[in-house]
Amino acid sequence: MAERPLPPLPPLPDEETRTLERAATGPPDPPHVPRERPRAPRAEGPQRRQWSAGHALVVSVLALAIGLLLNAPGIHKSAYNKPDGWQRDVALALTGPLAGVSHALLLDRPRKAVQALVGRSGADEIHTDLGLPAPAPAGKPNRPATQAPVSTPSKPKKLAFSPKRKLKIWVAGDSLVITPGYAIVRAAGASPAMEPVGTVDGRVATGLTRPDVFNWFDEIRSSVKELRPRAVVLGFGGNDDKAYMTGLPEGRSIGDFGSWSWRKEYGRRVGGLMDAINRAGAFVVWIGLPQTRSAAQTQRFDVVNAVVEKEARKRDGRATYVDTYTMFAGDDGGYTQYLADGSGQLRKVRADDGVHFEREGGDMIARVVLKALNKEFDLTSWRKQQP
Amino acid sequence: MLFPTATFAIFFLLVLPLSWLTMPWPHRWRPFIVLASYVFYSWWDWRFVFLLAGCTLWNQVLAVRIWRSKVQSQRKALLVLALAGNIGLLGYFKYYDFFVSSSDNMAEIVGLDLPLSLKSIVLPVGVSFFTFMAISYVVDAYRGEFEPTTLEKFAVYLSFFPHLVAGPIVRPSELIPQIETPRDPRRVDTSRAFYLIATGLFKKVVIANYLASSIVDQVFAAPGQHSSLEILIAVYAYAIQIYADFSGYTDIAIGVALLLGFQFPQNFDSPYAAVSVQDFWRRWHMTLSRWLRDYVYIPLGGNRGTSLATYRNLMLTMLIGGLWHGAAWTFVVWGGLHGGALAWERWRRERRSPADATRRTTGRHVWAARIVTFHFVCFAWIFFRSDSFGAAWDMIEGLFTNWGAPSPLVTTGVLLAIAVGIGSQYLPARIPRLLMARFSRLPVLGQATVLALALMVTSVLGPEGVAPFIYFQF
Repeated sequence: MAERPLPPLPPLPDEETRTLERAATGPPDPPHVPRERPRAPRAEGPQRRQWSAGHALVVSVLALAIGLLLNAPGIHKSAYNKPDGWQRDVALALTGPLAGVSHALLLDRPRKAVQALVGRSGADEIHTDLGLPAPAPAGKPNRPATQAPVSTPSKPKKLAFSPKRKLKIWVAGDSLVITPGYAIVRAAGASPAMEPVGTVDGRVATGLTRPDVFNWFDEIRSSVKELRPRAVVLGFGGNDDKAYMTGLPEGRSIGDFGSWSWRKEYGRRVGGLMDAINRAGAFVVWIGLPQTRSAAQTQRFDVVNAVVEKEARKRDGRATYVDTYTMFAGDDGGYTQYLADGSGQLRKVRADDGVHFEREGGDMIARVVLKALNKEFDLTSWRKQQP
Repeated sequence: MLFPTATFAIFFLLVLPLSWLTMPWPHRWRPFIVLASYVFYSWWDWRFVFLLAGCTLWNQVLAVRIWRSKVQSQRKALLVLALAGNIGLLGYFKYYDFFVSSSDNMAEIVGLDLPLSLKSIVLPVGVSFFTFMAISYVVDAYRGEFEPTTLEKFAVYLSFFPHLVAGPIVRPSELIPQIETPRDPRRVDTSRAFYLIATGLFKKVVIANYLASSIVDQVFAAPGQHSSLEILIAVYAYAIQIYADFSGYTDIAIGVALLLGFQFPQNFDSPYAAVSVQDFWRRWHMTLSRWLRDYVYIPLGGNRGTSLATYRNLMLTMLIGGLWHGAAWTFVVWGGLHGGALAWERWRRERRSPADATRRTTGRHVWAARIVTFHFVCFAWIFFRSDSFGAAWDMIEGLFTNWGAPSPLVTTGVLLAIAVGIGSQYLPARIPRLLMARFSRLPVLGQATVLALALMVTSVLGPEGVAPFIYFQF
């Protein structure tokens, strides 16, 4: 026998106030201080009109449809920024025409007007130009890299800094750099001869492979120009362990993640950033990727680390690579979330997601970064010169 | 699946019509909504769906047995078993590593080597919320206050996706009767639902995310590098951020449930307008407050014993509430501060003369009480937000030691966002009512256009990407 539908009952009366009162009964004691004014009984204002479920659905669909048109440029940019794959292809195929319709009907104007009002004009534009020297023509895999020469001297003299002339440090990178970055800021801020400049520029879900998502090449060039740091601490790669890259030179394609062509292009970007920073007169400290809870991810991070380490080695005296892989290894050499500190106390050094760092982990990295800076710069001789 | 994402919008646009279409046939609707909720939950990690299903089965079997049993000792034993299962689940996923590392460090101090090993356990999202709801169910059955329902209805109660990951913590007597009776599709409070969803999105995406990225994260991460003014503003900003983040989430949850025909209890009522810490807890995370009252404070003895016992019960309840928020000693201190304040307020109240109590109802005293309460709550938030005691102390010390230094993070935008957050606490209730009433009288296209414009403004003002809700980690 077919199930008979039950007749709908009217919903509960508007319980907003009643539920509030019931919930707010609180612990059994009466409130000791009456409120400023006793709460007025439910106001006799205009009553809300109740609508049907069908109305709710129609309004929801229409609101989203109009919202899609009003926000089409932003949605198209989000689609462009998605990870490579069929979902991105579908999203681009849908949002491209949508953005066209929105523009034709002038429905993108309100969004642009609000953006202009809050100083975010151009936020929907996609910049993929890396601003790096053109890559060398493709050659054999073993051919030595032909980076554009950098005008800075090969190995600068050990520069001295003091409380009067502090070493300015700036930190930037993806989400993995945020916690170590703040630890570096704390440690450097406590040193009389160092001065963190700017804020820790850590941006979630960004990297060097997708300048469309966030163009770090533009960001770093403009920031070093503005902040004038003498040391730049970078951390990238956590989101770069994928084959797809945007901002490739015209006509160039790359192979799978980790392939020779991928490594070459990624190396060009890493090296290009290092060179740009060197040109601005700053030393680069690049924090490598740690091992993670996922063995597969750790293997991919190894590929990224190898590229970065190679580029740093090429720029000896201008850049250095900080290895975090062994720093965070457990007793068995593998991933661990807790490590014992000098006094034998267990410290949580990695976040629950198995990738990011906890504050204690950040402090460990900061110590190594500061050691690297101490090796590169003279940060202590000023003490001897003091009376 | 996060609420402010395209994925959730698509999910909800599919669930909304299907839910109403199957609603007249409860035996179709209930499996459908459980399935939809499990899909929603599996978006984080499909393996945890088994945890949720296991929790449902465990509590249903024991609640029914408790209800049917006539022997008090057996009922009690079953209740203990049910509670042990729920608390064990919570304890294992949330507190195991905290317990092991704390024990190990204590043992290290006295020269012992404990044979305990850390497991790096991944916390299932929302586990604190659904275990608390499950505890409500079995305890209410034990107390004879609520007869256990069928497994199907209980599964809907526990997994219903609008409340699943961050509340509100709905009691069985509030939701199960609604699940038992098909909702009326002719009378849906759409204007309130859309208002809550739109304001919730704005609070989360614009206010909370803006304050987090503009000042809070930077100052709390390195207080020593910031001026006293920046630290002070960051503390205020965090108070607004956590309110906007959590109340924004529950506003969306309540709005989504309303569109499906269900009413959830209110979770926030202008908490920063509270005139005492007790009043604060009647306005902040109200469904947790009453849960702690009904399932912790009252079973501990409530205020039925001596004054000293009442203070102890208040303190214990708030310490448990603190630990519920996270496996860290900073949360315990946060709970202890609130427990201490509640006990102190009670002690003062017991010694106050009626004339004094009357005097305190005047406007000047009320405003003074509001300001003092707000600042106490902000002070306690320092421990809640800080990674460690050292970091919390750095914040407190920094409040006094670096005045006059440049404060580039204190911008007009930050001050405006804080002002909006505090101002919203004093918004007369008639204004949202009027807005909702006006909205409800607009034609379909007008309503859709208003919502689309709200969506557009939120999208433009919010930072790129969606940060997870703070309360997901609890």
